[in-house]
Amino acid sequence: MDSLILDAVSVLSTAGWLFIVSAGLTLVFGAMRLINVAHGSFYMLGGFLMTSLAASSAGIRFWWALALATLVVAVLGALLEVTILRRIYQKDHLVQLVATFAMMLIIADVAKTIWGSRARTVDAPAAVDGTLTVGGASFPTYRLVIIAAAVLVAVALWVMLTKTALGWRTRAAVEDPELLSSSGTNLTLLRTGTFALGAALAAFAGAVVSPQLAVAPGSDTSIIVAAFIVTVIGGLGSIPGAAIGALVIGLAQTIGTSVAPSWAATSIYLAMILVLAVRPSGLLGVAER
Amino acid sequence: MRRTARLAVLAMVAAITTAGCGYGDDGDSGGEDGEIKVGISTTLTGSLGDIGNGGRNGIELALADLNADGGVLGEQVSLVAQDDDLDPARGGENARSMIVEDDVKAIFGPVASSIAASEEAVADEFQVPIFFFSSNSAALLNDTFTEYAFQVVPNTVMEPRAVAAYLAEKSQGTTVRIGTFAPDYSFGHDSVDGFLAALDALDVDYEVVSQQFPALDDPNIGPALNDLVAASPDYVYNAQYGNDLVTFTKQASQFNFFDKTTLIAMFGVKELEALGDGVPPGTVAFNRAPFWSLGQEATDFVTRYQAEYDELPSEWALLAYTAVQAWAEGVEEAGTFDGEPVSDALSGATVSTIRGDITFRECDHQAEVSEYLGELADKPDPEYGVPLWTAGSEFEATFDEISDPC
Amino acid sequence: MTGSVRDVDLATPRRRRVANLVGPVALLVAMVVAGGVLPATDVFTLRLVVVYALFALATNLLIGYGGLVSFGQAAFFGAGAYTIALGWLHWETSFWLTLVLAPFIGGLLALVVGAIALRTRRLYFALLTLAFSQLFYVVANAGYEFTKGADGVFGAIVPEFLRGRNPGNGYLFILAVASLAALALWKVTASPFGLVLRATRENRERMEALGVNVYAHQLMTFVISGFFCALAGALYVVAAGSATVELLDWGQSGHAVYMTVIGGMYVFLGPALGALAYTFGVDYVTQSGLGHWQLFLGLALLGMVIFRPDGLAGLLSPATWSGWVAKLRGRADRGSEPEGRR
Repeated sequence: MDSLILDAVSVLSTAGWLFIVSAGLTLVFGAMRLINVAHGSFYMLGGFLMTSLAASSAGIRFWWALALATLVVAVLGALLEVTILRRIYQKDHLVQLVATFAMMLIIADVAKTIWGSRARTVDAPAAVDGTLTVGGASFPTYRLVIIAAAVLVAVALWVMLTKTALGWRTRAAVEDPELLSSSGTNLTLLRTGTFALGAALAAFAGAVVSPQLAVAPGSDTSIIVAAFIVTVIGGLGSIPGAAIGALVIGLAQTIGTSVAPSWAATSIYLAMILVLAVRPSGLLGVAER
Repeated sequence: MRRTARLAVLAMVAAITTAGCGYGDDGDSGGEDGEIKVGISTTLTGSLGDIGNGGRNGIELALADLNADGGVLGEQVSLVAQDDDLDPARGGENARSMIVEDDVKAIFGPVASSIAASEEAVADEFQVPIFFFSSNSAALLNDTFTEYAFQVVPNTVMEPRAVAAYLAEKSQGTTVRIGTFAPDYSFGHDSVDGFLAALDALDVDYEVVSQQFPALDDPNIGPALNDLVAASPDYVYNAQYGNDLVTFTKQASQFNFFDKTTLIAMFGVKELEALGDGVPPGTVAFNRAPFWSLGQEATDFVTRYQAEYDELPSEWALLAYTAVQAWAEGVEEAGTFDGEPVSDALSGATVSTIRGDITFRECDHQAEVSEYLGELADKPDPEYGVPLWTAGSEFEATFDEISDPC
Repeated sequence: MTGSVRDVDLATPRRRRVANLVGPVALLVAMVVAGGVLPATDVFTLRLVVVYALFALATNLLIGYGGLVSFGQAAFFGAGAYTIALGWLHWETSFWLTLVLAPFIGGLLALVVGAIALRTRRLYFALLTLAFSQLFYVVANAGYEFTKGADGVFGAIVPEFLRGRNPGNGYLFILAVASLAALALWKVTASPFGLVLRATRENRERMEALGVNVYAHQLMTFVISGFFCALAGALYVVAAGSATVELLDWGQSGHAVYMTVIGGMYVFLGPALGALAYTFGVDYVTQSGLGHWQLFLGLALLGMVIFRPDGLAGLLSPATWSGWVAKLRGRADRGSEPEGRR
């Protein structure tokens, strides 16, 4: 029973932050048909900013830092969209891949200059920094915070996309951008906003997990691969799909590590290959135009 | 057409002929500025950078002491240091460039055994003595042995054997549940293999409940830690070091893991400093050179190091110092800086160092040294600021007890 | 993907074809001479340049000529390297045997990977090949008993005359093999097969309507690319004396892609130029203590891909030169003309 509780917490918290990161990636792809290799960089920046802003774990300061880190990266995302990404929307996918890859390199270098090459971590606020014991199992309380954050993001995204005007406009941009813009929507602004939102989600994930997962140079590339897998399995462009994909990966990692530690990572890539080979747009995905 | 072809062929022949006359050969390089150089390529940046830098500082201090005393064979010696970025390919490249460009007369090894292997290959190729004082994979003196390699610390057969011997004493006939947590490369795998093999040899009644190999220098150990915690072992043998070990201890504490589990790991001065009061009570540390147990010269070294660098030396700094001493003695004995005579002189020789006399076994150049274990004290030592080992808990596994015969 | 492609028209008169040979032959001679003239450390670097050049050339068969953006060619590059390394490690196989074997193993793997990957298009193809590259990397790591995992394989893997303080012999050997391979690749691109390949890049549907089995054609291309990527990997072992798992991961695949982009996808030897620029560029930046090679690389890539999609080769092409010359001349002439005229 104990190990079941531990496993459940592990699966859910891993799936949780993976979902938040991947939701951003899949949202941007769904709305703009842009695969952003630098998405992992936003995650890393969110984490690094958190380590600078939340230097002490004095209660409320932590949560403010969380919001601020997310906001800063959102603004950065918007800036990058305006200056660089706008030039490459019409270009083919090689250009997009290489350009966003280049962005990743540049951001990685700047981050290394600012924050150095060591792994950094943050202390969680004292209120949630303890250990929780359920049944016979003890685990860090903060894991529940991560799970809660993921649920919050999921609900907020669902509400935004289905209940608000911004939401249906974003979804319409996926279906038929020409019609949308001819009906008066400022498509350019919508795109910038969507990209900024995607960046914000990535940064939020990075900031939220920083007390549990250390941030270091290299976090960007490892996250982007994980995000690729999650979004591909769930289907590029589908946010429920991202949730499914995140759960699959969380399960694979937790259970896989218990059963066959060395080969757990293999199963993840095999799953991605299998899904893509059979359903090129993923389980619930939107086909590429 | 024919003219072009003829010209091309002529040019090729001319070029290839130069191949015969030392094509690509630089001839004799370096060494004119009168100073002798030795080199180290190790991890100087990143989370494991502390270990590499400690080693480098130890070497610099040793060279300063030697130079102040008239140098080696009357020559002043300086150090060339390069960063291997925890990458075996880079380590090998660095070693080669230090030899070819800087004409280093000796190389001092890196942090990670994987990188050590690549540097060893280069040292063998260019016939330059290489001294390992951090990386200790047994394969270095076994599978990939070269007469130019020397090891001053217990290897991955000896070290886990010492831990197993300690555990055998503690368990005394009861069945122990064991978990292992080791970095995913040769050192980690070799250590765990050696540990389990030693337990078998000592007839310890044990059960392995979890074996995890997280990647080296990767602080995200969530799933691996989850499995270890869920398995609830009595003892966990952790072969991680440096920042990895600190991260593990911090994260595992949040699971109240150490309420029921005793941790056995390589806690050195730096790890203890980083953990502060986060050291779980009852933790067992093993150490290759605990300076408080090695005599007056060692404690003098600590004082000098503190004066020079304003911090406590790690065991790596101390061991690096001894490696330099060994090399210097080998050079003096051989009367030259050339690789082959120096290696011959050191093979089977006994050299005096700040940790006492050490003998390099002739068959594999392994230093005949002991491994040390002890229970960490609850309170930091007033003089040094980190917990030392509780009196009476110290356990020395001698070379004869833990080593394989030649 | 459009672009002016400068290729050999198959009905070229003999004279023109020979004139086209002068460039590459002169280049080869220059490379050989460089090996004898430059200091040893630079020659060590040149060895890697030639290896990466072949890797990039083979990758460009897919990217530039085929329009297939693969982020997974490192899988074959690494497979080639490990064929040599593991043959030596486990069975003391003759180097020459594994050298011949390596490209065939690469081709075989490419057949399997390509059969699956080519069922997807464009972005999904890129992601799927990336997944394969990572899969190979993870498997190599996990199978550490066999592959030595994260440690990599180091030692006296290649024959004695290719090793040692003097990089000359190894360099000539690598250059010779790579040149022959490049020649073979060139033949492929200039052949009817290559023409059809380019046509499928331009308009897949039309080619299918014309009766071409595009999937099979692309698969064949994938196999050829994998074959030569593996050969490059085998040569890597000669250049570096080692094989490490990082040779298989998507970062290494990315290397091939951006060397191609920097050098120029639309000229056959463009990627080789990219390999030269990249390798020496990174070397210079790290050695000179300037640091921040990622920043420079990122900026270079970004600039290239947005402003100069035809890469360095495009920058150096006669068309560009004459364009600039004309512009300069035009400006000089225009100096004496009234303002209004434009």
